[in-house]
Amino acid sequence: MRKLKLSMGILAIVFATLTVASCKDAKKEQNNEEEHQSEMSTEENHSEMNHDNSDGHHDEEATHDNSDGHHDGDSAEMTSEARDIAVSTQKNGATSAIIDAYFQIKNALVTDSKENAAKGGTALLAAFSKFDMKTLTDGTRQEYMEIAESAKEQAEHIVENPIDHQREHFETLSTDINDLITLLGTDKTLYLDYCPMKKVSWLSETKDIKNPFYGSEMLTCGNVKKQIN
Amino acid sequence: MLKSKLTKMKIVKIIVLVLLVAFVGIQFVPTERNQSDVVPKTDFMLVNDVPKEIENKLQVSCYDCHSNNTAYPWYNKIQPVAWFMEDHIKKGKEELNFNEWADYSDRRKKSKLKSIISQIKDDEMPLSSYTLIHKDASFSEDDKKKVITWLTQLKDN
Ligand code: HEC
Repeated sequence: MRKLKLSMGILAIVFATLTVASCKDAKKEQNNEEEHQSEMSTEENHSEMNHDNSDGHHDEEATHDNSDGHHDGDSAEMTSEARDIAVSTQKNGATSAIIDAYFQIKNALVTDSKENAAKGGTALLAAFSKFDMKTLTDGTRQEYMEIAESAKEQAEHIVENPIDHQREHFETLSTDINDLITLLGTDKTLYLDYCPMKKVSWLSETKDIKNPFYGSEMLTCGNVKKQIN
Repeated sequence: MLKSKLTKMKIVKIIVLVLLVAFVGIQFVPTERNQSDVVPKTDFMLVNDVPKEIENKLQVSCYDCHSNNTAYPWYNKIQPVAWFMEDHIKKGKEELNFNEWADYSDRRKKSKLKSIISQIKDDEMPLSSYTLIHKDASFSEDDKKKVITWLTQLKDN
Protein backbone atom coordinates (compact mmCIF):
# COMPACT_ATOMS: atom_id res chain seq x y z
CA MET A 1 0.00 0.00 0.00
CA ARG A 2 2.72 2.40 0.97
CA LYS A 3 4.53 1.60 -2.22
CA LEU A 4 1.47 2.27 -4.23
CA LYS A 5 1.25 5.68 -2.63
CA LEU A 6 4.87 6.27 -3.41
CA SER A 7 4.51 5.41 -7.07
CA MET A 8 1.40 7.55 -7.31
CA GLY A 9 3.39 10.39 -5.83
CA ILE A 10 6.13 9.94 -8.36
CA LEU A 11 3.69 9.81 -11.20
CA ALA A 12 2.19 13.02 -9.95
CA ILE A 13 5.62 14.61 -9.98
CA VAL A 14 6.16 13.41 -13.51
CA PHE A 15 2.95 15.05 -14.64
CA ALA A 16 3.69 18.20 -12.73
CA THR A 17 7.06 18.48 -14.42
CA LEU A 18 5.65 17.97 -17.83
CA THR A 19 2.97 20.54 -17.14
CA VAL A 20 5.51 23.04 -15.91
CA ALA A 21 7.65 22.37 -18.95
CA SER A 22 4.81 22.94 -21.35
CA CYS A 23 3.66 26.03 -19.45
CA LYS A 24 7.04 27.58 -20.03
CA ASP A 25 6.61 27.03 -23.72
CA ALA A 26 3.11 28.41 -23.80
CA LYS A 27 4.36 31.57 -22.21
CA LYS A 28 7.17 31.81 -24.67
CA GLU A 29 4.85 31.31 -27.56
CA GLN A 30 2.61 34.09 -26.31
CA ASN A 31 5.53 36.46 -26.06
CA ASN A 32 6.41 35.70 -29.58
CA GLU A 33 2.99 36.30 -30.98
CA GLU A 34 3.86 39.76 -32.13
CA GLU A 35 6.83 38.52 -34.03
CA HIS A 36 4.68 35.83 -35.55
CA GLN A 37 2.79 38.52 -37.31
CA SER A 38 5.88 39.94 -38.84
CA GLU A 39 6.62 36.48 -40.08
CA MET A 40 3.26 36.37 -41.78
CA SER A 41 3.86 39.62 -43.55
CA THR A 42 7.21 38.30 -44.64
CA GLU A 43 5.39 35.50 -46.32
CA GLU A 44 3.00 37.82 -48.03
CA ASN A 45 5.91 39.68 -49.49
CA HIS A 46 7.31 36.49 -50.76
CA SER A 47 7.44 37.37 -54.42
CA GLU A 48 8.59 40.89 -53.84
CA MET A 49 11.45 39.74 -51.69
CA ASN A 50 12.33 37.31 -54.31
CA HIS A 51 13.05 40.11 -56.72
CA ASP A 52 14.90 42.16 -54.18
CA ASN A 53 17.14 39.38 -53.40
CA SER A 54 17.90 38.18 -56.82
CA ASP A 55 18.83 41.72 -57.69
CA GLY A 56 21.33 41.84 -54.90
CA HIS A 57 22.61 38.56 -56.05
CA HIS A 58 23.21 39.76 -59.57
CA ASP A 59 25.19 42.70 -58.35
CA GLU A 60 27.40 40.38 -56.50
CA GLU A 61 27.85 38.25 -59.51
CA ALA A 62 28.75 41.19 -61.69
CA THR A 63 31.65 42.11 -59.46
CA HIS A 64 33.18 38.66 -59.72
CA ASP A 65 32.40 38.34 -63.32
CA ASN A 66 35.77 36.90 -64.21
CA SER A 67 35.29 34.03 -61.82
CA ASP A 68 31.90 33.14 -63.13
CA GLY A 69 32.98 30.29 -65.33
CA HIS A 70 34.88 28.56 -62.57
CA HIS A 71 31.89 28.42 -60.37
CA ASP A 72 30.47 25.68 -62.43
CA GLY A 73 31.27 22.43 -60.74
CA ASP A 74 29.76 20.60 -63.64
CA SER A 75 32.29 18.14 -64.90
CA ALA A 76 31.68 18.77 -68.57
CA GLU A 77 32.36 22.44 -68.10
CA MET A 78 35.31 21.72 -65.95
CA THR A 79 36.72 19.71 -68.79
CA SER A 80 36.22 22.34 -71.41
CA GLU A 81 37.72 24.86 -69.06
CA ALA A 82 40.82 22.78 -68.91
CA ARG A 83 41.74 24.20 -72.27
CA ASP A 84 42.35 27.57 -70.70
CA ILE A 85 44.58 26.04 -68.10
CA ALA A 86 47.37 25.16 -70.50
CA VAL A 87 47.32 28.70 -71.79
CA SER A 88 47.01 30.62 -68.57
CA THR A 89 48.84 28.52 -66.02
CA GLN A 90 51.42 30.60 -64.26
CA LYS A 91 54.47 29.04 -62.67
CA ASN A 92 53.64 29.29 -59.03
CA GLY A 93 55.21 27.18 -56.31
CA ALA A 94 52.96 28.58 -53.58
CA THR A 95 50.21 26.11 -54.38
CA SER A 96 52.50 23.06 -54.22
CA ALA A 97 51.76 22.01 -50.63
CA ILE A 98 48.03 22.13 -51.31
CA ILE A 99 48.36 20.13 -54.52
CA ASP A 100 50.62 17.55 -52.81
CA ALA A 101 48.04 17.02 -50.07
CA TYR A 102 45.35 16.66 -52.71
CA PHE A 103 47.44 13.94 -54.37
CA GLN A 104 47.84 12.22 -51.03
CA ILE A 105 44.06 11.93 -50.85
CA LYS A 106 43.79 10.93 -54.49
CA ASN A 107 46.38 8.18 -54.19
CA ALA A 108 44.77 6.86 -51.02
CA LEU A 109 41.43 6.60 -52.80
CA VAL A 110 43.13 4.85 -55.72
CA THR A 111 44.30 2.19 -53.27
CA ASP A 112 40.93 2.11 -51.46
CA SER A 113 42.47 3.31 -48.21
CA LYS A 114 40.05 5.26 -46.08
CA GLU A 115 42.70 5.82 -43.38
CA ASN A 116 45.26 7.32 -45.73
CA ALA A 117 42.63 9.48 -47.40
CA ALA A 118 41.74 10.82 -43.95
CA LYS A 119 45.43 11.58 -43.33
CA GLY A 120 45.55 13.37 -46.67
CA GLY A 121 42.52 15.39 -45.59
CA THR A 122 44.37 16.49 -42.46
CA ALA A 123 47.42 17.36 -44.56
CA LEU A 124 45.27 19.41 -46.90
CA LEU A 125 43.77 21.37 -44.02
CA ALA A 126 47.28 22.07 -42.76
CA ALA A 127 48.44 23.14 -46.22
CA PHE A 128 45.58 25.62 -46.51
CA SER A 129 46.24 27.08 -43.09
CA LYS A 130 49.92 27.54 -44.00
CA PHE A 131 49.12 29.19 -47.31
CA ASP A 132 50.30 32.78 -47.33
CA MET A 133 47.35 34.94 -48.25
CA LYS A 134 49.59 37.99 -48.50
CA THR A 135 50.83 36.74 -51.86
CA LEU A 136 47.36 37.19 -53.30
CA THR A 137 46.34 40.21 -55.29
CA ASP A 138 43.08 42.05 -54.68
CA GLY A 139 41.77 40.45 -57.84
CA THR A 140 42.34 36.88 -56.70
CA ARG A 141 41.79 37.09 -52.95
CA GLN A 142 38.01 36.85 -52.96
CA GLU A 143 37.94 33.85 -55.21
CA TYR A 144 40.79 32.18 -53.39
CA MET A 145 38.83 32.49 -50.15
CA GLU A 146 35.77 30.90 -51.69
CA ILE A 147 37.79 28.05 -53.13
CA ALA A 148 39.66 27.54 -49.86
CA GLU A 149 36.44 27.60 -47.84
CA SER A 150 34.93 24.92 -50.02
CA ALA A 151 38.08 22.80 -50.26
CA LYS A 152 38.56 22.85 -46.49
CA GLU A 153 34.99 21.79 -45.99
CA GLN A 154 35.50 18.85 -48.34
CA ALA A 155 38.75 17.99 -46.53
CA GLU A 156 37.01 17.96 -43.16
CA HIS A 157 34.46 15.50 -44.49
CA ILE A 158 37.18 13.35 -46.00
CA VAL A 159 38.84 13.17 -42.58
CA GLU A 160 35.70 11.95 -40.89
CA ASN A 161 33.78 9.74 -43.26
CA PRO A 162 33.64 6.24 -44.79
CA ILE A 163 35.20 5.81 -48.20
CA ASP A 164 32.15 6.23 -50.44
CA HIS A 165 31.46 9.51 -48.72
CA GLN A 166 35.12 10.50 -49.04
CA ARG A 167 34.88 9.90 -52.76
CA GLU A 168 31.81 12.08 -53.01
CA HIS A 169 33.63 14.96 -51.37
CA PHE A 170 36.73 14.26 -53.43
CA GLU A 171 34.63 14.98 -56.50
CA THR A 172 33.86 18.52 -55.31
CA LEU A 173 37.41 18.90 -54.02
CA SER A 174 38.78 18.11 -57.48
CA THR A 175 36.74 20.97 -58.93
CA ASP A 176 38.05 23.27 -56.21
CA ILE A 177 41.69 22.33 -56.70
CA ASN A 178 41.37 22.60 -60.47
CA ASP A 179 39.91 26.08 -60.07
CA LEU A 180 42.67 26.99 -57.66
CA ILE A 181 45.27 26.04 -60.25
CA THR A 182 43.44 28.03 -62.90
CA LEU A 183 43.42 31.00 -60.57
CA LEU A 184 46.93 30.89 -59.12
CA GLY A 185 48.93 28.50 -61.25
CA THR A 186 51.41 25.78 -60.38
CA ASP A 187 54.99 24.85 -61.24
CA LYS A 188 54.14 21.15 -61.47
CA THR A 189 53.31 19.14 -64.54
CA LEU A 190 49.81 17.81 -64.03
CA TYR A 191 47.16 15.88 -65.89
CA LEU A 192 43.47 16.52 -65.84
CA ASP A 193 41.72 13.15 -66.13
CA TYR A 194 38.11 12.45 -66.89
CA CYS A 195 35.97 9.50 -65.88
CA PRO A 196 33.09 9.13 -68.37
CA MET A 197 31.33 6.54 -66.18
CA LYS A 198 30.90 9.01 -63.37
CA LYS A 199 31.19 12.15 -65.49
CA VAL A 200 33.76 13.62 -63.13
CA SER A 201 37.27 14.98 -63.44
CA TRP A 202 40.30 14.68 -61.22
CA LEU A 203 43.92 15.81 -61.27
CA SER A 204 46.89 13.50 -61.37
CA GLU A 205 50.66 13.83 -61.20
CA THR A 206 51.16 10.85 -63.51
CA LYS A 207 50.13 10.24 -67.06
CA ASP A 208 48.70 6.74 -66.50
CA ILE A 209 45.10 6.58 -65.43
CA LYS A 210 44.46 5.47 -61.86
CA ASN A 211 40.87 6.16 -61.07
CA PRO A 212 40.29 7.38 -57.48
CA PHE A 213 36.51 7.18 -57.76
CA TYR A 214 36.42 3.41 -58.22
CA GLY A 215 39.82 2.32 -56.94
CA SER A 216 40.63 -1.33 -57.54
CA GLU A 217 37.11 -1.90 -58.85
CA MET A 218 37.83 -0.07 -62.10
CA LEU A 219 41.33 1.29 -61.78
CA THR A 220 42.04 2.26 -65.36
CA CYS A 221 38.67 3.75 -66.26
CA GLY A 222 39.08 7.23 -67.70
CA ASN A 223 41.31 9.26 -69.98
CA VAL A 224 43.66 12.21 -69.90
CA LYS A 225 41.84 15.36 -70.98
CA LYS A 226 44.63 17.85 -70.65
CA GLN A 227 48.21 18.21 -69.66
CA ILE A 228 49.00 21.21 -67.49
CA ASN A 229 52.53 22.59 -67.97
CA MET B 1 12.35 -19.37 -2.11
CA LEU B 2 9.56 -17.00 -1.35
CA LYS B 3 11.95 -14.63 0.30
CA SER B 4 14.29 -14.37 -2.66
CA LYS B 5 11.36 -13.75 -4.93
CA LEU B 6 10.34 -10.89 -2.69
CA THR B 7 13.76 -9.31 -2.74
CA LYS B 8 13.86 -9.64 -6.51
CA MET B 9 10.62 -7.78 -6.76
CA LYS B 10 12.01 -5.19 -4.44
CA ILE B 11 15.05 -4.73 -6.61
CA VAL B 12 12.93 -4.37 -9.71
CA LYS B 13 10.81 -1.79 -7.96
CA ILE B 14 13.84 0.15 -6.84
CA ILE B 15 15.20 0.14 -10.37
CA VAL B 16 11.92 1.37 -11.77
CA LEU B 17 11.82 4.06 -9.12
CA VAL B 18 15.35 5.21 -9.85
CA LEU B 19 14.56 5.35 -13.55
CA LEU B 20 11.42 7.33 -12.90
CA VAL B 21 13.21 9.77 -10.66
CA ALA B 22 15.97 10.12 -13.25
CA PHE B 23 13.38 10.71 -15.96
CA VAL B 24 11.75 13.40 -13.88
CA GLY B 25 15.11 14.87 -12.96
CA ILE B 26 16.34 15.27 -16.50
CA GLN B 27 13.23 17.20 -17.40
CA PHE B 28 14.67 20.06 -15.38
CA VAL B 29 17.93 20.15 -17.29
CA PRO B 30 17.65 23.12 -19.59
CA THR B 31 18.21 22.65 -23.30
CA GLU B 32 18.71 25.38 -25.79
CA ARG B 33 15.75 25.87 -28.07
CA ASN B 34 16.35 26.53 -31.73
CA GLN B 35 13.55 28.97 -32.37
CA SER B 36 13.21 32.11 -34.38
CA ASP B 37 10.09 33.70 -35.71
CA VAL B 38 11.77 35.71 -38.37
CA VAL B 39 12.51 34.12 -41.69
CA PRO B 40 15.61 35.93 -42.90
CA LYS B 41 15.72 37.34 -46.43
CA THR B 42 18.52 34.94 -47.21
CA ASP B 43 16.28 31.88 -46.77
CA PHE B 44 16.43 29.22 -49.47
CA MET B 45 12.69 29.48 -50.13
CA LEU B 46 12.79 33.25 -50.52
CA VAL B 47 15.71 33.49 -52.91
CA ASN B 48 14.70 30.56 -55.09
CA ASP B 49 11.48 30.05 -56.95
CA VAL B 50 10.53 26.84 -55.19
CA PRO B 51 7.34 24.96 -56.16
CA LYS B 52 4.98 24.69 -53.19
CA GLU B 53 5.17 20.92 -53.02
CA ILE B 54 8.97 20.88 -52.86
CA GLU B 55 9.00 23.71 -50.36
CA ASN B 56 6.69 21.79 -48.05
CA LYS B 57 8.71 18.62 -48.30
CA LEU B 58 12.01 20.30 -47.53
CA GLN B 59 10.55 22.35 -44.74
CA VAL B 60 8.92 19.40 -43.02
CA SER B 61 11.85 17.04 -43.58
CA CYS B 62 14.93 19.21 -43.23
CA TYR B 63 14.23 22.54 -41.56
CA ASP B 64 14.07 21.11 -38.04
CA CYS B 65 17.82 20.51 -38.13
CA HIS B 66 18.96 22.78 -40.93
CA SER B 67 17.41 26.14 -40.12
CA ASN B 68 17.12 28.57 -37.22
CA ASN B 69 13.62 27.42 -36.47
CA THR B 70 12.76 23.94 -35.25
CA ALA B 71 9.15 22.87 -34.84
CA TYR B 72 8.63 21.70 -31.27
CA PRO B 73 5.71 19.33 -30.94
CA TRP B 74 5.41 18.03 -27.36
CA TYR B 75 7.62 15.00 -27.93
CA ASN B 76 10.48 17.21 -29.06
CA LYS B 77 10.30 19.04 -25.73
CA ILE B 78 10.63 16.00 -23.53
CA GLN B 79 14.03 14.74 -22.45
CA PRO B 80 15.95 12.91 -23.72
CA VAL B 81 14.40 13.69 -27.12
CA ALA B 82 15.19 17.38 -26.67
CA TRP B 83 18.87 16.58 -26.10
CA PHE B 84 18.98 14.40 -29.13
CA MET B 85 17.45 17.23 -31.16
CA GLU B 86 19.76 19.85 -29.67
CA ASP B 87 22.82 17.90 -30.68
CA HIS B 88 21.58 17.22 -34.19
CA ILE B 89 20.50 20.79 -34.73
CA LYS B 90 23.91 22.09 -33.72
CA LYS B 91 25.75 19.75 -36.08
CA GLY B 92 23.13 20.01 -38.80
CA LYS B 93 23.23 23.80 -38.90
CA GLU B 94 26.99 23.79 -39.12
CA GLU B 95 26.73 21.67 -42.23
CA LEU B 96 23.83 23.42 -43.86
CA ASN B 97 21.53 26.24 -42.85
CA PHE B 98 18.73 26.84 -45.33
CA ASN B 99 18.06 30.20 -43.68
CA GLU B 100 21.49 31.46 -44.73
CA TRP B 101 21.36 30.22 -48.30
CA ALA B 102 21.84 33.57 -50.07
CA ASP B 103 24.98 34.22 -47.99
CA TYR B 104 26.68 31.14 -49.40
CA SER B 105 29.07 31.72 -52.29
CA ASP B 106 28.00 30.29 -55.64
CA ARG B 107 30.64 27.62 -55.23
CA ARG B 108 29.22 26.66 -51.85
CA LYS B 109 25.64 26.64 -53.14
CA LYS B 110 26.65 24.19 -55.84
CA SER B 111 28.50 21.88 -53.51
CA LYS B 112 25.68 22.02 -50.96
CA LEU B 113 23.09 21.20 -53.61
CA LYS B 114 25.24 18.30 -54.68
CA SER B 115 25.43 17.01 -51.10
CA ILE B 116 21.72 17.55 -50.52
CA ILE B 117 20.86 15.57 -53.63
CA SER B 118 23.16 12.71 -52.73
CA GLN B 119 21.97 12.62 -49.12
CA ILE B 120 18.35 12.35 -50.21
CA LYS B 121 19.16 9.88 -52.97
CA ASP B 122 21.03 7.57 -50.61
CA ASP B 123 18.39 7.85 -47.86
CA GLU B 124 20.97 9.34 -45.51
CA MET B 125 18.87 12.41 -44.85
CA PRO B 126 16.63 12.97 -43.03
CA LEU B 127 18.31 10.88 -40.32
CA SER B 128 16.49 7.61 -39.78
CA SER B 129 16.51 8.16 -36.01
CA TYR B 130 14.46 11.25 -36.74
CA THR B 131 11.97 9.81 -39.24
CA LEU B 132 11.26 7.12 -36.65
CA ILE B 133 9.20 9.69 -34.74
CA HIS B 134 8.57 12.18 -37.53
CA LYS B 135 6.88 9.92 -40.02
CA ASP B 136 5.87 12.77 -42.30
CA ALA B 137 9.53 13.71 -42.78
CA SER B 138 10.41 10.54 -44.67
CA PHE B 139 10.56 10.50 -48.45
CA SER B 140 8.51 8.23 -50.68
CA GLU B 141 10.13 7.17 -53.95
CA ASP B 142 7.88 9.68 -55.70
CA ASP B 143 8.90 12.50 -53.33
CA LYS B 144 12.52 11.64 -53.87
CA LYS B 145 12.22 11.77 -57.62
CA LYS B 146 10.40 15.10 -57.65
CA VAL B 147 12.68 16.80 -55.16
CA ILE B 148 15.88 15.47 -56.74
CA THR B 149 14.78 16.45 -60.24
CA TRP B 150 14.04 19.96 -59.12
CA LEU B 151 17.23 20.35 -57.08
CA THR B 152 19.32 19.02 -59.96
CA GLN B 153 17.83 21.64 -62.25
CA LEU B 154 18.65 24.34 -59.72
CA LYS B 155 22.21 23.05 -59.40
CA ASP B 156 22.83 22.91 -63.14
CA ASN B 157 21.72 26.32 -64.20
C1 HEC C 1 17.32 15.13 -37.10
C2 HEC C 1 17.99 16.24 -37.65
C3 HEC C 1 18.23 16.29 -39.18
C4 HEC C 1 17.28 16.31 -40.18
C5 HEC C 1 15.78 16.26 -40.01
C6 HEC C 1 18.01 16.47 -41.40
N1 HEC C 1 19.35 16.53 -41.16
FE1 HEC C 1 20.82 16.80 -42.54
N2 HEC C 1 22.24 16.67 -41.07
C7 HEC C 1 21.98 16.47 -39.73
C8 HEC C 1 23.24 16.33 -39.01
C9 HEC C 1 23.38 16.08 -37.52
C10 HEC C 1 24.27 16.45 -39.98
C11 HEC C 1 25.78 16.38 -39.73
C12 HEC C 1 26.40 15.17 -40.35
C13 HEC C 1 25.97 13.88 -39.75
O1 HEC C 1 26.06 13.73 -38.53
O2 HEC C 1 25.55 12.98 -40.51
C14 HEC C 1 23.61 16.66 -41.26
C15 HEC C 1 24.28 16.84 -42.45
C16 HEC C 1 23.66 17.12 -43.65
C17 HEC C 1 24.37 17.41 -44.89
C18 HEC C 1 25.86 17.43 -45.11
C19 HEC C 1 26.30 16.00 -45.29
C20 HEC C 1 27.62 15.82 -45.92
O3 HEC C 1 28.41 15.08 -45.35
O4 HEC C 1 27.86 16.37 -47.00
C21 HEC C 1 23.41 17.62 -45.84
C22 HEC C 1 23.64 17.96 -47.30
C23 HEC C 1 22.11 17.46 -45.19
N3 HEC C 1 22.31 17.16 -43.88
C24 HEC C 1 20.90 17.59 -45.86
C25 HEC C 1 19.68 17.33 -45.27
C26 HEC C 1 18.45 17.36 -46.01
C27 HEC C 1 18.31 17.67 -47.48
C28 HEC C 1 17.46 17.04 -45.12
C29 HEC C 1 15.98 16.88 -45.42
C30 HEC C 1 15.65 15.95 -46.43
C31 HEC C 1 18.08 16.84 -43.82
N4 HEC C 1 19.42 17.02 -43.96
C32 HEC C 1 17.41 16.55 -42.65
C33 HEC C 1 20.73 16.42 -39.15
C34 HEC C 1 19.53 16.41 -39.81
